[in-house]
Order: sequence, then structure tokens, then C-alpha cells
Amino acid sequence: MAGRYSPDPDQTPRTLLRRVLDTADSRTPRRRQSVRNNAQRSLLQIPSSSKRQSSQTKIVARRHSYITRSVVRLARVQTHGHLEEQTPRTLLKNILLTAPESSIVMPDSVVKPVQVPEMVESSKWESSPGSLELQLPELEYPSTLAPGLPATGRSKQRLRLSVFEQEVNQRLPLSQEPPGNADASSLTSSFNLSFVPPCQSQSVGRPGLARRRPIRRPVDVGVLLQDLEDNSLTTALPGDNYRTPVATLPTDAVLEDTQPFSQPSVGCSLRVYHSLPSPSHSEVKGAERVVGRRTQSTGTGLEKHMSRTSLGTTPLPFSKLQPQPPEIREAVGSQEAVEAKEQEGSSRDEDTPGRPASPELAADTYNLLQAEQPHQSLQPPPPPGVAVSEPLESVPARLPSRTQTVGPRHHQDPYKAGLSHYMKLFSFYTKMPVEKKALEMVEKCLDKYFQHLCNDLEAFSAHAGRKTVKLEDMELLLRRQGLVTDQVSLHVLVERYLPLEYRQLLIPCAFSGNSVFPAQ
Amino acid sequence: MEEAEAEEQQRFSHRQRLKAAVHYTVGCLCQEVALDKQVQFSKQTIAAISEVTFRQCENFAKDLEMFARHSGDCFCPLRRHAKRSTVTTEDVKLLARRSNSLLKYITEKNEEIAQLNLERKAKKKRKPEDENRDFMELDADVVGSDS
Repeated sequence: MAGRYSPDPDQTPRTLLRRVLDTADSRTPRRRQSVRNNAQRSLLQIPSSSKRQSSQTKIVARRHSYITRSVVRLARVQTHGHLEEQTPRTLLKNILLTAPESSIVMPDSVVKPVQVPEMVESSKWESSPGSLELQLPELEYPSTLAPGLPATGRSKQRLRLSVFEQEVNQRLPLSQEPPGNADASSLTSSFNLSFVPPCQSQSVGRPGLARRRPIRRPVDVGVLLQDLEDNSLTTALPGDNYRTPVATLPTDAVLEDTQPFSQPSVGCSLRVYHSLPSPSHSEVKGAERVVGRRTQSTGTGLEKHMSRTSLGTTPLPFSKLQPQPPEIREAVGSQEAVEAKEQEGSSRDEDTPGRPASPELAADTYNLLQAEQPHQSLQPPPPPGVAVSEPLESVPARLPSRTQTVGPRHHQDPYKAGLSHYMKLFSFYTKMPVEKKALEMVEKCLDKYFQHLCNDLEAFSAHAGRKTVKLEDMELLLRRQGLVTDQVSLHVLVERYLPLEYRQLLIPCAFSGNSVFPAQ
Repeated sequence: MEEAEAEEQQRFSHRQRLKAAVHYTVGCLCQEVALDKQVQFSKQTIAAISEVTFRQCENFAKDLEMFARHSGDCFCPLRRHAKRSTVTTEDVKLLARRSNSLLKYITEKNEEIAQLNLERKAKKKRKPEDENRDFMELDADVVGSDS
């Protein structure tokens, strides 16, 4: 079906739709606004919209522009949320078909007939000469189309109808959209004549092909922080709850700002970030180190760290601060959890002579610099061992695709909380049911492994005469693990396993801003 | 090209000789253990142990070098340490930290050696100080001229 109407040989429906969608987004706000306006403003907008339409009619002759337009209409509707559920192919198909888009755009086709009288009313309501004028080009529009595509015109009009119906449903029944009005007025007649919507739910019939974009909902950081505070007071660190996959998290949104020290909107995170702008040399370096550590920290590392830190929690004043930055970090994903653990571990290890070494994390997750507390020796959980390297390596691939949902925050045993996440991962990657005892054993091994890694990091930093774990310690640990070799450097691992946003934070060349020294 | 090949061959033969030495030593040790525990060691076992030992020694060497380089490799402004080019006992201890008994053993040995050094220094000091002073001055001069 899509082939029947391929605009250009080198353009696939996908690319076309993609282009349309890219351009359509920019116009949606305006359209929305127009819908929301009163009838008074609708009159004002009619001339503008008529202008738009007249300009559009010029390009109507071109087939692909027609598609674009119809797709734009469809896209406008669907950008509101339905778009993600369809492939470009199915979208285009629906445009081309005579079937009403209600099968795709609006689930119940019954709504359409109901909306028609509304639209008729609204069109009548706006009985201005402008609307009438608009009707003419609208009617002409389909006729001027390629002769072999009468259905497309009808479908296009129906598209608009559906779009308008949606708008009408949601907002006041204002015929703000002159095209919509024109559609309504013209379509009412057409509906009376030929309104036979064949329900072609082709997109529904093949759910396997539906490709969803990851639905990324922002994590409610306030709730996060609140919960974390509640939990931290009682337990060591409810890390697992916050150990959402890396994908999208509030701190991610902040991090995408690509400014290492940008002030996040989150109130609690301000504290974390305030520590950053108070730059001591070591802090900056420490941040780098943490980042480096993060690179190596995998989710499992985070888990272990979490559990470990939770074990040795001491009710230090840091605990208050730490949960927040760890929260934020964990919001970023497993990395966050690592940080939280780190901080917990650091608070715990402050009793020990040596500051906790930064556990090297597998190159999967990088903890964000922001979350790092300058004065708290971070103790990123050591990266999981080789035994878990398999699931870990797949974790970074999976993490970005995970949805960032903050599930119900049930109070768990913090010791277990950290590793349960990895248990789930493990049971997923085994592709077969796993015995509970086996899971427990794996958990124990992971725990031991992470403890070892943390100890190693601590030893490394102590060996270097430092009290804070730094990037070098992390890199050394990774090197010992064989993840960083002479062929594969740390930066390669960063780029390979971490989301691209971290690259700008962690790799100096990336955030240097193309400044060449000495200046040429 | 030829030089590289020759060097390569030389390295390879050197490596083989080392492996042979390790193998021999492992064999001797296994014989002792066999006598002690009244168990037999097959040839494959000894070969496997020697191969593993050799590879682990390679790892150790790389790690020690990394540790030496790592020490003092910090960004902290204090700059207490400089990157070392010598592997010290600290590096070795870091390497052996995994196995507690080994670490303890090494630490004890280290302390013994340190004590020996101290005793030697003390002995030297206790010796006729004049001779030492003369020697020291001579040494200092030599060292000064050298540097």
C-alpha cells in the first residue's frame, strides 16, 4: 500500500514520515494554541490559516507534499502520544487508506460520527466568509490531486477530521482550525455520502512490528529524595529502588545539559551541585576519578557497593547528604546506585585509616560527576567480576532502552536491595528459570566480588599515598581486570558502554571544546 | 627486519629457557611434596603447574610495573610522591594482599630485611667512626663527583 504511493524512489515512507515528523513538531504548539483560542481569535486566525492553506495548495500538486501535509496532520495528532506506537510504514499506510484514522489515531471509531455534528455546529458557529472561502480550496484540493488518488484526498480530509475531532474532544468545541472547519463542512456532506469506514486495523493486526520508542518518564526526584531520606534514616541505603536503569533520569536531563556544574532544578540535588562549584582541585579531580570509576562500575558493582555500604552504615552526618547525591546518581541509573554506595562506603570507611578506594566499575556505567561529593571519598562499587561480565556487558546495551519508572518504593532490606537488581538481570539473561538457591549463591558471589573490588580500590589509593579514590585507581583496577588493555583504553570503554552523554563528561578531549593548546 | 627477527628469536629462546627453569623448579617442589604427603604427581600436572606459574609471573610483573607507576600518580596538589620507576616492597605487598597468609609471610620477611638493614647500619655506626667517616667522606666525594 505504501508502495502504491511512493513519492520518490529514493525516499522510503520511513524517511518521509521521519522528515514530516521532525517538521511537524515545530508547528504543533501553534496549532494547539489556535485550538485553544476563543472564537474571537479564531476569526483572526482564519486569515492566517487561510494563507497557510493557500500556500499549501500550491504544493498540493506535488504528491509527496500532499503526503507530507496529511502526515503532518496525522503527526500533529499523533505527536500527542500515539505516534510512538506505530511504525512510519503503518502511519503512512493509514494515511493512504480510505480507512478513517480513527482505527489508529482514535481507538473508537464511534467517536467520529458523534463528532461530526459537533464539527458541523462549530463550523456553523464560525460562519464567516473566511470559512466559506476556505472550504473552496479544501474542496478543490482533492480534486486537483492526481487523478488516480481520489481516495487519498478523502483520507486526507478524514485525517483532518480525526485530528479535529481529537482537538474538539480535548478542548472547547471551537472550530479554530479553519481547515478543520472546512473539512467538517465539506466532510459532513461527504460523510453523508460516503462515510463507510472500513476498519483496517492493519497496524493492530501486526503488533510484532510495532516499534516503540522508549517511553521515558521523568523520575519524580522529589519523591525519590523524600523516600531516600526516609529510608536512609532507618536503613543503610535503599539503593535498589533508585537503581533504575541508566536510561532516563532527572539527573540525566540535567546531565544532558552537558555542563558539568549546571545547577539542576531539583532542590536536593542543588546541594550536590553546590559542592561541585566549590571547586577544590581534588574535587575536580575526584570527580574525574569518580567518573572514571563509574565507567567501570557496572550495575552489579553498584549493587554490591550498595549492599556493602549498607552493611557498614554508620549514622554519620554524611548519611543525610549521601542519600541525596546517591539518589540523584541512582536516578541516573546503576551508576547512581554506585555512587550512593560509594558515599555510604566512604562514610563507613572514614573510620578506617585509608579512604575507600574507588572501586572500579566495569566500563558500563559511569557515575556522574555531579553526584560526587567532594569531601566524601567515593567508593564506587567495584566492577563485577568476570563471571558476571556477560550480563554486565549486556546491561549497558539494555540500560538506555529501559524506561525510567520509579516503582513503588517498598522498604527492603538494604543489604539485599542492592543486589536484587542484578538478580533480576541474571535471571533474565539465563533465559531459563533459575532456582532460588542458585540465585542466592549468585548474589553471595556478587557481594563478595564487589567487596573485593572495593577493597582493591581502597588498597590502590592507599598505595598511592592518597586518601581518596581517584580515576587512576579505577583505571588500575580495570587494567587488572583485563578490561583496559594496551589496545583498549579507558576512553574506548567509556564510549562503548556508557550513554553518549557521559562521554562529554568523562573524556577530556570531548569536553575540552575543541580548544587547541597551544593556540594556533 | 632481520634484526627484529633475530631479536624475536632470541627473546623466544630466552623465554623457553625461563619456562624450562620454572618447570624444573616446579618439578623439584612437587617431588618434595610428594615425599611429604605420599602422593604422586603426574607429568601433566607438573607441566600444568609450571605453565600456570609462568603466566602468573607475567601478570605479576605487569601488575608490579603498574603499581610502581601508579604510586604517586595522583592529581592531589600535595605531590608527595613522584612516579616511581622502581618496584618496591610496597608494590609487592599490594600484589600479595589477596592471600592473607602470603601477605603475612611477605610482611614478616619485609620486616626481617628491614631489621637487618637497620642492624647493618647500626653496626656500621658502631664501628670505628673515624674509619666510617673517612669512608663516608670518600664515598660522598665519589658520589659527588659522579653526580
